[in-house]
Amino acid sequence: MDSSIKAAAVVLDSVSKSYGAVEILKNVSVTIAPGEVVTLLGPSGAGKSTLLRCINHLETIGAGRIYVHGKLIGYREVGDTLHELSDREISAQRRSIGMVFQSFNLFRHMTVLQNVMSGPTHVLRAPKAEAEALARDLLARVGLPDKADRYPSELSGGQQQRVAIARTLALAPSVMLFDEPTSALDPELSQEVILTIRSLAEQGYTMLIATHEMAIARDFADRVIFMVQGEVVEDVSARSFFTSPRHERSRQFVARHAG
Amino acid sequence: MTVVASCAMAGPRAVRVKHRLRWGAWLLSAIVLLVVSMLLGAAIRARIMNAEVFLAYLTSEQVLLGARNALILGTLALAVASVIGLVVALMRVSGNPILAGLSATYVYFFRGTPMLIQLLFWFNALPTMFQRVHLAVPFTDIVLLDAPTTAVVTPFVAALAGLGLAEGAYMAEIIRAGILAVDKGQRAAARAIGMTEAQVLRHIVIPQAARIIIPAGGNQYIMLLKSTSLASAIGFLELLRISTDIYSSNFMVIELLAVAAFWYLVMTAFATAIQTALEKTFPQR
Ligand SMILES: Nc1ncnc2c1ncn2[C@@H]1O[C@H](COP(=O)(O)OP(=O)(O)O)[C@@H](O)[C@H]1O
Ligand SMILES: [Mg+2]
Repeated sequence: MDSSIKAAAVVLDSVSKSYGAVEILKNVSVTIAPGEVVTLLGPSGAGKSTLLRCINHLETIGAGRIYVHGKLIGYREVGDTLHELSDREISAQRRSIGMVFQSFNLFRHMTVLQNVMSGPTHVLRAPKAEAEALARDLLARVGLPDKADRYPSELSGGQQQRVAIARTLALAPSVMLFDEPTSALDPELSQEVILTIRSLAEQGYTMLIATHEMAIARDFADRVIFMVQGEVVEDVSARSFFTSPRHERSRQFVARHAG
Repeated sequence: MTVVASCAMAGPRAVRVKHRLRWGAWLLSAIVLLVVSMLLGAAIRARIMNAEVFLAYLTSEQVLLGARNALILGTLALAVASVIGLVVALMRVSGNPILAGLSATYVYFFRGTPMLIQLLFWFNALPTMFQRVHLAVPFTDIVLLDAPTTAVVTPFVAALAGLGLAEGAYMAEIIRAGILAVDKGQRAAARAIGMTEAQVLRHIVIPQAARIIIPAGGNQYIMLLKSTSLASAIGFLELLRISTDIYSSNFMVIELLAVAAFWYLVMTAFATAIQTALEKTFPQR
């Protein structure tokens, strides 16, 4: 295998994906280095969510390959054919890929503590006491040590999203994917989530963040990937994306959002 | 109703608040009570029932046997129906067109024909379809069961199959509604933390679907306990069959119907108690 694939945290190699006749991802190639924070920008419908969901194989792909820390995701390559992995094998791959959703998606029948413990107890089969200690520690880190026994419905959106982040961290993922983590929140609540994500960036997590929040892209992302209609239009450092966008579409996007 | 509220902040004058009287509801209550007491009065004046006969039969050995048979049949049928319902519901939401089609067809047939026809069908068709029942452990000489089908398909077995299969169609729809009520986002989140499909079902979908399935399932359990009376048509000795057998020889029709009704009410109370307890185990969040 190519040594650059082994060294990278995430590699998308000529990935395409269609729903029926409509091509949603068109020959997308992206490489993310360990510790890098990359924002995925683009108008709604550009294929950002689809791209993220392909990385942990919540969606299948039509062509190309995706690697996370050198491991081919979702498929086994035999000769010139990719065979989809079994449910069990895919689940095992997903453990090291954390994902945070726009709508939080907390398990509504579980307390905050149980939500954060769900990965370690049900997936890793860790001892209860150990999982609980870890969960309480993570809740303290996202600033919610006193909400352990609450149910998701009793929390604000910002608090729910921080619990969702803690739930993901409990599996010690090597890559974190965020799909518009603040889009369902009003500006004030967005702020607390952005601060949480920022502290993860400072701790060195590898992150790919689809967002409309310019503060994330500008203040602490290393790189911006700009997508339009399933294609990567621009893949540059965050600074140069905002100061000198090269393409017409990115120029319009920056003008509209940066104001 | 009158509520007097005084508010010190509002100013120098205390204000009386007078709420509307909901007179419509009170009028309806009065009418209903009147009608009920007239009916009761008529029943008592006509002496439609001999209380001593009622009490004598209430705890008679035969009646208790019938009640017990009805409870056992209804409960086992619910268990069979729940298992069938879960499988059929999962087939329906599997995304596989053949499984989904089979599941929809099953629901259509078994919900679309009277339970009584189904009971009579299984009782008569099974022995015709299979002459003998032969159950053996493969690759050995061990034979678990070898008998003519008519001996195996007793009225109880036919009733259990009939009620379980018919009710399975209703349970399938209830369970499907419960599964669909758990949003896709939670399932995606569960898969994203590395749960297998079976784990997603067990830890995320089923516990939340239960909140919807339990009240509806409790309703079905009550219907099923009463539907055991259909099994009288194929000679199963359940509560109604025993009661009618008794009154056809002693003509105490009302008394025995009342005895049967009493035990059905007891079973319903039992089912309701179980439902209430389960609803507390899976509260709405
Ligand atoms: N399950 C699906 N079936 C068909 N089309 C879909 C499906 N999911 C998304 N799409 C389409 O794919 C395109 C990209 O969607 P998405 O990845 O959600 O974009 P973004 O996240 O950038 O807004 C959109 O045009 C959307 O309508
Ligand atoms: Mg999206």
